Amino acid sequence: MKKSSYDTALERELHDSLSHINLRKCHQCGHCTGVCPSARYGGIRPREIMERASKGTMDLRLEQDIWKCLMCNSCSERCQVGADPAHVITLLRNAAAIRGNRPPHFEEEMKLFVKTGMSFPRTGLTKKLRSEFSLPELEVDEKVMEELKILLSLSRLGRF
Amino acid sequence: MPSYFLYAGCLISSRLPFLEASSRFVLDRMGIDYLSFPRATCCVEPIGLRSLGYDAWLMFVGRMLSIASTERRDVISLCNGCFLSFKEAIHHLERKDVRERINRNLAQIGLEYRGGVEVKHIAEVLKDQGESAINALVKRPLKELRLACHPGCHLVRPSKLLRVESYFSPMLLGKFAEWIGAQVVYNELWPRCCGGGLAGIEDRISEAILRENTELFKASGANCILTPCPFCFLQFDLRQKQGIPVLFLPEMIALAFGASAEQIGLRYHRTKLDF
Repeated sequence: MKKSSYDTALERELHDSLSHINLRKCHQCGHCTGVCPSARYGGIRPREIMERASKGTMDLRLEQDIWKCLMCNSCSERCQVGADPAHVITLLRNAAAIRGNRPPHFEEEMKLFVKTGMSFPRTGLTKKLRSEFSLPELEVDEKVMEELKILLSLSRLGRF
Repeated sequence: MPSYFLYAGCLISSRLPFLEASSRFVLDRMGIDYLSFPRATCCVEPIGLRSLGYDAWLMFVGRMLSIASTERRDVISLCNGCFLSFKEAIHHLERKDVRERINRNLAQIGLEYRGGVEVKHIAEVLKDQGESAINALVKRPLKELRLACHPGCHLVRPSKLLRVESYFSPMLLGKFAEWIGAQVVYNELWPRCCGGGLAGIEDRISEAILRENTELFKASGANCILTPCPFCFLQFDLRQKQGIPVLFLPEMIALAFGASAEQIGLRYHRTKLDF
């Protein structure tokens, strides 16, 4: 993919937030993993993610553990030094996604958003239920779709 | 009193419209001034979509915030996920360089975000109304309910940003229950994750976390789960094996305010309730 000035800005933002703000604060105390519901069942271990990310021993094209986070924010709430592991994981996921590493489930959601502006499909049942409860129609109209297209063309999401 | 845009989000508006019906019923009864959010899109939800499109998240929330600020309305969110998405975006957009970058993008569609919009979870709007206002509208105290309260992650964390509820031993849902005559038999100390964030991605982990929750609820003798989050609602209603019915917070308040089960679509719950 061709690099634009925008890509450089995003990469820089990811890099800055990761290396200078969050990763350096981490003391490797492990409170985050202690409170992580995914870690309890063999999923992600936030302390270990913080360690590997700060040492640079993570291949974002192949990394799988970052996708086992539920984004419950327990780790960041617990973190005593404000290293905010959940934010680090979000940024790592973005950096991985840019490199082609994206779970199929999220890829589908992204396609739906690009197509409809929504991340859940509107079905026949949606229409039936909305009219049954006299709820206003919520169609995303042409003007919204036009704005959506323009904003997507300015973001990474529109160019995967 | 502030006036609002009601932002129902994707999950409620397309898959669970009956939850929107009960929310509107409660807001109407309380005399709150609101309109549907115009030209709304998805909030670029914080679990999946934002993981792929951090930049798109700030643009799309920025877009909706600028629409709300032009119309001088605050926002009511019916969903924990949308609530977090909006609150975190507002926080990031306070940084001058981030705001300038997003506003350069928004200028392409003729919008600008200048700040000044408050986003509230519907639980927060109800809390602001207070005990006496809610109590005065109760037509049918729900004495038969023995509730397990489940606030959901994104009503409480990050606590520095959300500020609706205590991040440890939250009491708000219990207060609502008390105000409408129901009984609370289980409160979470550290508000738990329902496991929904990994449904369809790591089902084994998702189901194990869900089971851990519902086994605790079952042991407490609860006959109903109370939650203000539609993702938790769906996870409990659709996937749990213990068979405990679940009520979305506005559904419980609507029932207490005299809404009939038909009126708010309780028959669309998978795990049936007796009302």
